[in-house]
Amino acid sequence: MRLYADSAKCSGCRACLVACSLNLFQESNPKKASLNLIPHFPNPGVYEMKVCTQCGDCAAVCPTEAIKINERGAYYVEFGECDLCEACVPECPEDVMFVRTELANTAWKCDLCGDCVSVCGTSALWIAN
Amino acid sequence: MGLEPHLNKAMTVTIRPLGMLKTYIGELKEISVEAGLSVRETLHLIGINPDLVAGVFVNEELKTKDYILQDGDIVKLLAVIGGG
Amino acid sequence: MNGYGGSILRVNLTDGKLTKEPTPAQLAKDFIGGRGFGAYFLFKEVPKGADPLGQENKLIISTGPLSGMLAPGGGKCDWTTKSPLTGGYADASMGGHFTAELKYAGLDSIILEGVSPTPVYLFIETDKILLLDASSLWGKGAIDVEVELKHKYGEEYQVAAIGPGGENQVLYACINHDFGRQAGRGGVGAVMGSKKLKAIVLHGTKSVPVADLEGYRKAGMALYKACKDAEGLAEWSRYGTTIVTTWCNEVGALPTRNFSAGSFELADNINGQAMRNEIVITDKGCFGCPSPCGKYSNMKRYNTQVEGPEYETIGLMGSNLGIGDIQAVAEANRLADDLGIDTISAGSCIGWAMECYEKGILTKADTDGLELKFGNIDAVFALIKKIAYREGKIGNLLALGVKRAAQQVGKGSEKFAIQVKGMEQSAYATHNATAMLLAYMTCDVGAHHNRSWAITYDLQVGRDKVVPEKVARVIWLQNFRPMFDVMGSCRLQWVELGIDRDLYCPLLEAITGVKRSWQDLEAVGNRIWNLTRMYWVRENDSFGREWDLPAQRFYTDPPKTGATAGQITKFEDVQRLLDMYYDQRGWDTNGLPTQGTLETLNLTTLVT
Repeated sequence: MRLYADSAKCSGCRACLVACSLNLFQESNPKKASLNLIPHFPNPGVYEMKVCTQCGDCAAVCPTEAIKINERGAYYVEFGECDLCEACVPECPEDVMFVRTELANTAWKCDLCGDCVSVCGTSALWIAN
Repeated sequence: MGLEPHLNKAMTVTIRPLGMLKTYIGELKEISVEAGLSVRETLHLIGINPDLVAGVFVNEELKTKDYILQDGDIVKLLAVIGGG
Repeated sequence: MNGYGGSILRVNLTDGKLTKEPTPAQLAKDFIGGRGFGAYFLFKEVPKGADPLGQENKLIISTGPLSGMLAPGGGKCDWTTKSPLTGGYADASMGGHFTAELKYAGLDSIILEGVSPTPVYLFIETDKILLLDASSLWGKGAIDVEVELKHKYGEEYQVAAIGPGGENQVLYACINHDFGRQAGRGGVGAVMGSKKLKAIVLHGTKSVPVADLEGYRKAGMALYKACKDAEGLAEWSRYGTTIVTTWCNEVGALPTRNFSAGSFELADNINGQAMRNEIVITDKGCFGCPSPCGKYSNMKRYNTQVEGPEYETIGLMGSNLGIGDIQAVAEANRLADDLGIDTISAGSCIGWAMECYEKGILTKADTDGLELKFGNIDAVFALIKKIAYREGKIGNLLALGVKRAAQQVGKGSEKFAIQVKGMEQSAYATHNATAMLLAYMTCDVGAHHNRSWAITYDLQVGRDKVVPEKVARVIWLQNFRPMFDVMGSCRLQWVELGIDRDLYCPLLEAITGVKRSWQDLEAVGNRIWNLTRMYWVRENDSFGREWDLPAQRFYTDPPKTGATAGQITKFEDVQRLLDMYYDQRGWDTNGLPTQGTLETLNLTTLVT
């Protein structure tokens, strides 16, 4: 199972990012979310979404084995075990492995909670095999 | 059995009011109407003021109130909305 | 304080002093946020008689407890000021992502004071706040400025900017944000321009504290579910506000040729379907919105893009100008946005000028050679530029707004200046729709539809009826709808999707820790309504019933064509509407809140 995004349906509202940060950090802070929403304005005037495909490349390089698999079968970061080495960040083919020390003292990524899907009004996000 | 003209044949049309319109006319209505009636005439028939209907979607396509209804059509009525 | 950014930022542009003070708990309790904070600070801090374009006026930007949260439509901020267009209270509601960023920067209001000696922009990076030189940005269009500042600082930075219209203090200049959203009306852009503030760049990384985390998540998710389950979501999101164009044409509400009629023979060329067929590429939404009304368009003919046009611009820059060409309307929209003038007011001024030209009141000598006939697209494009740059006789004249322009020109042109209190009427023709007419007459910024959209009620009850129920409806809407502007959220999820408004109460309570029913919220709304009314009273010695009269056209000039041909409101009905309205509001017969009403609302201390 993994998250899918149809960029053509994205309206740039960022509700997914708020729902995500609430799940990961119990905070309303879209900068601490694990999807990447990239606006391309004024031209051509579209939004681009990037989401975790559960490829596992991040877990493969993590030296502390902080990236584990949860009950949903998804890779996630065990916050207490991350030492901020950032080896995972360049490995991610979708640029959705996040390290921002001004925001959190751990790396973070999508754990497939599905809350983003619940708040997306344009059905741009869904979970499937 | 000969070929008899199907005059005034009754059709079944489903009218589904959306949004705020439900407060004016209630929930989903399945009704029998005469063939050849327009959306506007049908609305009058079932007691809905056409002026309260902003958009008419027949089988998911946006139509005008002059569209002549066909047997089996599903008509969604969008309430008038608030502008900008 | 749960649900709030926590601080008020004061920016003194005269001496460059920047001060932060904690947001007062009593202010949050009494006025909640957004429009409430704006009205409070305006009344308290801008001295009586202040020149709207001078040192003493302030521009107050406020967010609300729902802004930036898991709340559908939590993307609206309020800009309040003394209006240079009307001389009274003005506020403008801006969507996009600015309000959310304000919360993350720890701010509830920014109060812009004084006048900068040189062009500057305000830079806010959570706790790092600076006034920086904007001389290289001054003169540029709002779109280019946003591109430049995002390129310089990063995509995460939110930008609000004025165009040449604001710099040149066009009295209805607007403020732009997120490549297509505006703080549009009342001349808020002119005030920003008079202060020599070109832009605000904003970035925040804090989280917003909430009173009850689990309750907040549950209530927010419930609201999103209600929106996603709403029948009509897909239809609404496909067309946005443009969906009402055909209906307005059918019921005689589509402003046509300077509101001389309510139906336009080319309406099908400028409606939502025409837009989707010809120009729309993306459905664009504000922060947190599950029902994006924004239609981002690409105009092949001009090789340009714009967010829009939405219904108001279709009305005022399309049918109102006799233009039945959606690409042209979209390009006019883009020009007005980039140059930074309100499309509604500009469209109305141009429509008035066209009627003057067709009647021979203005000639080519007055219009710098432009042929201002209805339908002349090139003249419209040229005029938008002349207005924004205050170029020539016609540019300078129309930059004043339709009321002053008509006063200057005279020759009976005042009869068809479609305005109330100096603000041009928005896109609902009200020849025969008495509740909507009353809404425009009594709206507290001038002739704008945002407070009370009552035209459906007119059609339900009988369009020409003058009955207490209509008045009660207008008043209820005026107390209720602007509460969304107070909470920092959009109202269209309730208006357009028909979701249960009671779903907002547990969300507000979980965020702020304060339990409020809609009855409580409407009481706050009523209080703010009387406060803004008292602002007009204070600032204008002659304020009273005369100021609430509608544009003369609506009681003297029945349309000759269209759905409302031959229909008009009687002037004695206009007076009856006001009599009933004042009575139901607890105001005297001249429209001033009585001492008793002010006491009941606990406003006497504030307004003396």
